[in-house]
Amino acid sequence: MRIVGEIITNQLSKRFGELKALNRVDIVVQRGSVFGLLGPNGAGKSTTTRLLSTVLKPSFGTAQMGEFDIIENPVKVREITGVLPEEGSHTLYPSMTAYQNLEYFANLYDVPDEEIPERIEELLTFMELWERKDDKAGELSTGNRQRLALCRALLHKPKILLLDEPTSALDPIAAKRVRELILSLAKKYGQTFFINSHNLSEVQRICDRIAILDEGQILLTGTTSELRQKLHAKQEFVIRVVGDIKKAESVVTSQHFVESVKIGVDSLLVTIENPTENNSQLMRDLLNAGVNIVEFAEEEASLEDLYLEVLKGGDN
Amino acid sequence: MARSKSMVVALADIRMALELRMVKWSLVLSAAFGPFLTIALVAGPSLVLTGPELELITAVLMPMAAAMLAMFSIIPATMISANALVGEREQNTLEPLLCTPLTDRELLWGKTLSSILICGAILVLSTLASAIGIAAILLGAGKQLIIFPDLPGLFMLAVVAPIVLFAVVSLMIIISGKVQRVYEAYQMSGAIIMIFMLPMMAPIVSSPSGVVDPSMVWMWNLLSFFLAVVIAIITWAVAIKQFNRDKMVSLV
Repeated sequence: MRIVGEIITNQLSKRFGELKALNRVDIVVQRGSVFGLLGPNGAGKSTTTRLLSTVLKPSFGTAQMGEFDIIENPVKVREITGVLPEEGSHTLYPSMTAYQNLEYFANLYDVPDEEIPERIEELLTFMELWERKDDKAGELSTGNRQRLALCRALLHKPKILLLDEPTSALDPIAAKRVRELILSLAKKYGQTFFINSHNLSEVQRICDRIAILDEGQILLTGTTSELRQKLHAKQEFVIRVVGDIKKAESVVTSQHFVESVKIGVDSLLVTIENPTENNSQLMRDLLNAGVNIVEFAEEEASLEDLYLEVLKGGDN
Repeated sequence: MARSKSMVVALADIRMALELRMVKWSLVLSAAFGPFLTIALVAGPSLVLTGPELELITAVLMPMAAAMLAMFSIIPATMISANALVGEREQNTLEPLLCTPLTDRELLWGKTLSSILICGAILVLSTLASAIGIAAILLGAGKQLIIFPDLPGLFMLAVVAPIVLFAVVSLMIIISGKVQRVYEAYQMSGAIIMIFMLPMMAPIVSSPSGVVDPSMVWMWNLLSFFLAVVIAIITWAVAIKQFNRDKMVSLV
């Protein structure tokens, strides 16, 4: 069966001497989707971006970006790709103005001459940098430089955007605007986003699919709910009661299938082993003990919980 | 009319190079010292000497002046080309550039062109300034006019020097792929200049009697020319073949 995707990596690998920075990575990113690559420092996230942007050559395997192979057609790949490199705010020409930085790259990306001023104004206005267009990039704050670097990645309306920590160094309002921009571009124009991030809540909010990378290998990939299912994450339940919380606690802790209990003011956070079988037993015992239950609900594991669990598993 | 991408890169490099005080001063000094020394060497003796003595000294100083003028114009190229690649890497601007649809050839040609445009302009202007300066001084003093450059000098300035310039920049590109810091590239550039300086200056050094034979000047000029052509072809081919995006980024 043929896999359809805007970004398809096939056993993508990179070695630096003895170090395996990336080891046989297979990822499929659908057109118009937002894909998040998570992983600790040194996991290989930036190496993946550099391989996909054809700045680095794979030691083994390859990848397809749109219609083009990164080894056979690197120039075509670069034409359809916009890149925000690692520490994007430090990758601008400090002695050029904000406008000149964008104009330079617009020329290199073959943006038609007559469209360049309009395109730059549109992007700088959106990023609230139009007033600073004549300031040298080196004189802008880190956040403004990050926005400018994002403008540069978007200049030529690329089909695929590779963004390394796009909202790092941005204030919450600017970060929110960038997240909204990513979602609207993906939805409106079908642009595909590949995002490296440490910001788990951001990834959870905007990414359709997520992969967790560690030591150059993909540990897990899928949507947040798929990850949850794949991990068979221990299920936590919130039991909210009215009245004697201590009585509820003693009933819960006496159960052999309860792994842990955290006590709140009027609720218990309980980790239950094999909940499908044991939940009804626990509820029955609580009711028999006269505990007045007002809520018995599953507490969904956050992406952070899943991420930590995956990495913990990787350590073992 | 759309400019070629190499020219876009070259113009950006020139703009950035001119922001660097060290490069700016090296350009100013080269543009000033070259014509100043040439005028002093060629016009100076005419003001105090006459007859066979003047002819003898002029025969020695004319090729020396042409070679020196060429060298003064080429020296800044090492700094501009070092900044063009290693400097970009040092200030983290190389990676976004490598992400653009520039081919390796377009990128390297752009980086080469930036040095050639600036140094070529210095070479032409310095030659013109020297020729005019010498003529003005001699005519003003009522002395016999000396045409600078003479034919071997013109060959040196119009043919040998541009090829040497290209060879120097190609060598600097190869060096840029091997070093991590701009100052390391600067240090190596001194040795590169020496390679070319020796044959260019050889006519003066190689005449034990102090009398410069014109055929000797031509021989050394042609030797410099062939050396420059061979080095330029080899280094450019090696620079293109060995240019390694992996290495350029990994050296960061």
